[in-house]
Amino acid sequence: MSSKENNNIYIVIAAYNESRVIQDVIKEIQGAGYDNIIVVDDGSSDETYQKISCIEKTIPLKHKINRGKGAATKTGIEAAKLLGADIIVTMDGDGQHDPSDIRVLIKPLLDENYDVSLGTRLLNPKGMPWYKIIQNKIGNAITWYLFGLWVTDSQSGFRAYSKKAAQAINTTGDRYEYDSEVIREIYKNKLRYTETPIQVRYTEYSMGKIQKQGFVNGIKTVYKMLWKIFH
Amino acid sequence: MKIFGIYLYQIIVVAISATMIHKGVSNFIKKETGQTFLKLFTRIFVWGGIATVAIFPKITNVFAEIIGLKGNINAVILTGFLLVFLMIFKLLSAIEKLEQNISKLTRKEALKDLKK
Repeated sequence: MSSKENNNIYIVIAAYNESRVIQDVIKEIQGAGYDNIIVVDDGSSDETYQKISCIEKTIPLKHKINRGKGAATKTGIEAAKLLGADIIVTMDGDGQHDPSDIRVLIKPLLDENYDVSLGTRLLNPKGMPWYKIIQNKIGNAITWYLFGLWVTDSQSGFRAYSKKAAQAINTTGDRYEYDSEVIREIYKNKLRYTETPIQVRYTEYSMGKIQKQGFVNGIKTVYKMLWKIFH
Repeated sequence: MKIFGIYLYQIIVVAISATMIHKGVSNFIKKETGQTFLKLFTRIFVWGGIATVAIFPKITNVFAEIIGLKGNINAVILTGFLLVFLMIFKLLSAIEKLEQNISKLTRKEALKDLKK
């Protein structure tokens, strides 16, 4: 895909305290041929925003206070909509996602008119720790039970949305419940979706992050999902 | 301990209830921010109820009979639990609404330069 064809493809990254790796992440995406990169600093206490602002052709945005991955991703998507994006790809800011997968992820949107392409780790879980596989399967079961749609990786942040999907999806979740809420919105709006196998790179850095979806955060996520149903 | 035929706990409870009701009425008359008739009514109902039970403890038997529970203590405890659950639910709702509003404002601030 040429640089010209990538003009209306926007990459959205939510970043929180990623000053160590964020520049490498952005440069890797640029190296893969994507220049429209929106990075939302979610109220980081380190130099994440300064590091983002140093890189040319990046669109840095900043949350003055930390609101959560879901809130930051939504801000990035709103920005992409304002800038006229035709396709929006969301990625994690810790380098777990391989930018070379973007081309594979957006192919169904470009060639087959799908509205959403969900990156899934579980169709090819090579390298994925066993406890993360179990956590993921539990998350999938709960998401299916509460929101009516079975997907193999309900917690993946590597996803691509068409313009139509970006307009239709309306979430209120600020934290990790956001990923499951998107599944609900796909079901509710009858969006055409597909699952695309992606690679994940588990590094010592990414596995050591406190704010990742661990057991306690998992319980909080389930509580928030239940709350949104009954309230 | 009795003072003029009234137990000490009854005096304390009535005094606190009267203070809370007076504060509510006073804020309502002064038209303080956030004071509504419903809030005042709720305050009078709750504190008035506590004072009434303190002065006439046997009224709880009547209450228990009305709602169909054996034992006035059970009726009071059950009602207390229900009220507490209601309050917690209302508080959680308010917190959730606040969180969403904070996120909306944070997003608006982040996007303001982009919208120009």
